[in-house]
Amino acid sequence: MTAIEENWIFAENDLDEINPVTFQLITKMNQISHDPVVVILIEKNAANLEKVLSAYGPDKIITIKDDALATGDDLEITDALANLIEKKGTPNTLIFPATVAGRSIAPRLQARLQTGLTADCLDLHFEGNLLIQTKPSYGDNIMCEITIPECRPQMVTARPNVFSSEKKINPNLEIETVSNIQWKKDDQLQIKSRVLLAQKAKDIKQAKHVVAIGRGSKTAKDIEGAVSLAKKLNASLGVTRPLTDLDTFTIADQIGQSGQTIAPDLLINLGISGAVQYTSGISNAKIVVSINTDKNAQIFKHSDYFFVGNAQEFAKSLEAIL
Amino acid sequence: MKIVVGIKQVPETTNVKINEKTKNIDRRGLGGVINSYDLHALQAALAIRNQVGGEVITLSMGPDDFAVSLQETLALGADKAVLLSDRAFAGADTLATAYVLSEAIKKVGQVDLVLVGQQSVDADTGQVGPIIAEMLKVPQVTYADKIDAFKDHLVIDRKLENMEQTITAKLPILLTATDKANRPKYTNVVEIAKSFDKPIITWHAGDLDLDEKRVGQAGSPTIVRSISEPQKVAKKNHRLSNDPATAARELVDILKQKNILTEDK
Amino acid sequence: MDQNKTSKEILLRMVKSFTENEVAPFDMEIDHTRSYVNDLLNKIKETDLLSTMLPKEYGGAGFDGSTTAEMINEIARGNASLAVTLEGHFKSIDQIVKFGNQALKDEYLPQAKSRIIAFSMTEPSGGSNPLGINSHAKHVGDKWIINGDKIMITNGGLAEIYCVLVKTAPEELSFFVVDKDMEGFEFGKQENFLGLTGVPVGEIVMNNIEVDESHLLGKVGMGKEIGDSAHNDARVLMGAVLTGIMEHELDIVTDYATHRKAIDTPIIQMQGIQRKIADIAIAKETTKLLYQKAAWLKDNRQDYEEEAAMAKAYGSRSAVKSGDDALQILGGYGYSLDYPVEHLIRDARAMELAEGTVEKMRTEIALIEAKNRA
Ligand SMILES: Cc1cc2nc3c(=O)[nH]c(=O)nc-3n(C[C@H](O)[C@H](O)[C@H](O)COP(=O)(O)OP(=O)(O)OC[C@H]3O[C@@H](n4cnc5c(N)ncnc54)[C@H](O)[C@@H]3O)c2cc1C
Ligand SMILES: Cc1cc2nc3c(=O)[nH]c(=O)nc-3n(C[C@H](O)[C@H](O)[C@H](O)COP(=O)(O)OP(=O)(O)OC[C@H]3O[C@@H](n4cnc5c(N)ncnc54)[C@H](O)[C@@H]3O)c2cc1C
Ligand SMILES: Cc1cc2nc3c(=O)[nH]c(=O)nc-3n(C[C@H](O)[C@H](O)[C@H](O)COP(=O)(O)OP(=O)(O)OC[C@H]3O[C@@H](n4cnc5c(N)ncnc54)[C@H](O)[C@@H]3O)c2cc1C
Repeated sequence: MTAIEENWIFAENDLDEINPVTFQLITKMNQISHDPVVVILIEKNAANLEKVLSAYGPDKIITIKDDALATGDDLEITDALANLIEKKGTPNTLIFPATVAGRSIAPRLQARLQTGLTADCLDLHFEGNLLIQTKPSYGDNIMCEITIPECRPQMVTARPNVFSSEKKINPNLEIETVSNIQWKKDDQLQIKSRVLLAQKAKDIKQAKHVVAIGRGSKTAKDIEGAVSLAKKLNASLGVTRPLTDLDTFTIADQIGQSGQTIAPDLLINLGISGAVQYTSGISNAKIVVSINTDKNAQIFKHSDYFFVGNAQEFAKSLEAIL
Repeated sequence: MKIVVGIKQVPETTNVKINEKTKNIDRRGLGGVINSYDLHALQAALAIRNQVGGEVITLSMGPDDFAVSLQETLALGADKAVLLSDRAFAGADTLATAYVLSEAIKKVGQVDLVLVGQQSVDADTGQVGPIIAEMLKVPQVTYADKIDAFKDHLVIDRKLENMEQTITAKLPILLTATDKANRPKYTNVVEIAKSFDKPIITWHAGDLDLDEKRVGQAGSPTIVRSISEPQKVAKKNHRLSNDPATAARELVDILKQKNILTEDK
Repeated sequence: MDQNKTSKEILLRMVKSFTENEVAPFDMEIDHTRSYVNDLLNKIKETDLLSTMLPKEYGGAGFDGSTTAEMINEIARGNASLAVTLEGHFKSIDQIVKFGNQALKDEYLPQAKSRIIAFSMTEPSGGSNPLGINSHAKHVGDKWIINGDKIMITNGGLAEIYCVLVKTAPEELSFFVVDKDMEGFEFGKQENFLGLTGVPVGEIVMNNIEVDESHLLGKVGMGKEIGDSAHNDARVLMGAVLTGIMEHELDIVTDYATHRKAIDTPIIQMQGIQRKIADIAIAKETTKLLYQKAAWLKDNRQDYEEEAAMAKAYGSRSAVKSGDDALQILGGYGYSLDYPVEHLIRDARAMELAEGTVEKMRTEIALIEAKNRA
């Protein structure tokens, strides 16, 4: 197979909507790649998702328009992508989002192409043509750098929401629709898909977003405000220990040493002082935002962003613009 | 139904550190355990067997001490175990690992269902399952949250980031199981001794029909260049503006930029 | 594959995971509610943990003394009460295995899988000096009629089968096995003990209980011998419980001292704190070596009485002292009922009394030392 000096990104199309991780991957590849950045898109005939993708400035979009394939299973998509590569040549790299779909299709395609694949990368850079892939292991306790020196394409899946996305106008953008892609129908699976409505607030231990309230935010009105902010953010509500005295909350809602340890992407602390027994439960939170009237509150030391002032007012302002 | 379950033995904790001298992961004093997702895969297999009949065979590629984990699967109720052990298999990445596993599954023969864990908790790739499926030329359903078995088909629920699916699958097929798939049972203490009446078969490289170039380090396209401990990023302690409305706006912009909040439609 | 070694590893993997998921998270709740929450009693039956050391011919798993002790050690790290409940059951099984006639073994050992057995010597008149007891059994035809009152029984009320020490003549001590379902058997009052609060400790009252000859454990007059043997077996396992308690203490203090800061320095950097933590670790390891040696001697059919007494005598005081140090490391929080340290002290303290007071054990150790040199 001929090698081509291009870097490909597989666009994730979830029921006619591009998963934003795709934009993040385009932006990242635009930053690190000397070779053309090419997005591979599978969509229904009537769709025009190229338009959304264009806004992030790849060099080329190759679209396979095929109604059946757009809802195809992993095996069918693998078949089609292998066929595309047979026609177009082997790109230098091929990046998938490390989503459920990406992490399922990429290894199948890897096996078909007999090349290497690195999972769930957190960082990527080039040394010449060689892609240096940083991936976590042991539940993010260890980082390793992995390379695929001998085989092409160098395949990776890259974790969502690690790279930021930036819109970019690329005046030389080329859009190509390919129509003669073959793939074998798999009639072993019958798939029924439904869009997931905003997920129910989860157990705080698993929640991606948490709004936590403390003694500085414990009136009925405060709690009401926090509940509706949490709803807007699709967040779970947690509390400090003093609030478990209220009938509404139990130890399952309590964050901290004698409560739950949480690890959300976003934690908003409303009226919490930051006692060690509390902060020991939040050390795995990624972004911590705290609101407290006391400008010397301990909790600020544990925060990325803080607001000195009334928690209820801030919560209201925030909710209003979400 | 003839079911094969992939079992990987992993360190008992993922809270590992790097040894300053050897620059390698320090596994001193760490015992092994069955990869937690594999216990869910096994439990699913046992439930299916108990419902529709058949046989559960556990399969592991690794050094001889992985046999303990296979013995444990027998105590948990598997019927038979196969250990794939050979120095030639060492240093395998996911491609080379799945190659040996898929050849072993072919040798077992007439397998209707392959079940593996969603991912291992040490290397964390989740790639071995789909690669096996591709090599066996069977379809796959990954990240299965719920599996219902019928005589000749399965009904599986799974979740993707923005959708959920219910899939009716004909056999043969490969599934990867999440930790929602079931609640694995604890090993029954008395069953441990009885499990020694069931066989663990060892296959070496010579027992399988292998292309030696595709095995072990030689068959592994990926190379681990270096490993390190992640840097803990210090908290930023950035103070937002004094006016609540302005501060809220600042925060929303930051969170969007960090992909914590998605762009408005 | 070495079957014994592999079996042991699988058992310990299971017990670790069971302790981590089912026991340790409920440690405080067990202490506060004085009961085995989380359906733990059913769970130890379902998993056959009750049969860990029960011989295979009676449907058990047949693990040796060392493995059984390590298993108890692991559970105690999560919750000492549950470990003591198992210890009480195991040492009772041990005596039926050692001294029971075949009919008694065939009747009761298969039941030990799901019915807990207790061992009862102490009476209101005293525990340290068995000849002071009042319970007695009278031979009538081919039956024995038992009367008496037994107190402070580990698992009393929970256990369904009791090995009881009685007088068969004024200076003659013997053991019998009675069942809670027998006519004349009654449960009495429960103790309101300071520690190991998960373990029910209670009284049984025996009113003309009539048993067959086969329910005599060992022979008439073997009461002291069987009692001593039970003490020895129990003390090995208590050494394991105490090791588990000290491991639990270490888990708490190392975590706390690493995160707690004095101004900006974690207190683990301070020598005074380091000394306490090191002392706990030394005491833990010493107790572990003692109980493991005792268990090894037992498995290899050598005398283990002295090592068993040492494990319990040394381990119990050490665990109390270590708990006190742990409390100090945690400062005011250590003194709080909301932290687990205080209950570990209370738990450990029980083992300076139960299964022979430390005074009695020191007497035994001293006499053995003298005898060895005589
Ligand atoms: C054994 C033990 C275990 C414990 N375990 C836990 C645990 O697991 N979890 C836990 O949370 N705690 C625990 N604690 C309690 C802990 O020590 C603190 O007492 C508790 O975390 C304080 O909760 P708080 O921050 O809500 O309240 P406070 O410390 O009273 O703080 C309230 C904060 O709100 C601010 N405030 C007041 N009004 C406003 C307003 N209108 N807007 C904004 N800010 C305002 C104040 O400036 C203050 O900083 C434990 C304590 C002990 C002794
Ligand atoms: C730090 C580190 C990072 C690595 N990164 C990569 C990488 O990015 N890409 C790559 O190709 N390789 C990588 N490897 C190599 C990889 O770990 C090995 O190939 C491993 O044998 C299988 O991969 P996994 O653990 O990720 O399995 P996964 O694919 O995560 O495992 C999924 C399931 O497959 C089954 N399974 C996995 N291994 C076995 C086995 N040996 N026997 C039986 N069943 C099994 C189990 O059911 C398991 O739950 C890495 C290794 C290390 C140590
Ligand atoms: C948690 C717990 C569980 C128990 N479980 C059981 C059980 O399952 N079965 C059972 O039969 N009993 C059980 N006991 C009772 C225990 O065995 C007795 O408490 C113990 O033997 C002491 O007896 P006593 O309380 O009557 O004290 P006493 O015998 O009256 O002793 C009082 C004090 O005098 C000292 N003393 C007495 N005689 C001597 C001597 N000869 N030499 C040196 N010092 C002496 C003792 O050391 C002690 O300090 C349990 C006790 C506890 C605390």
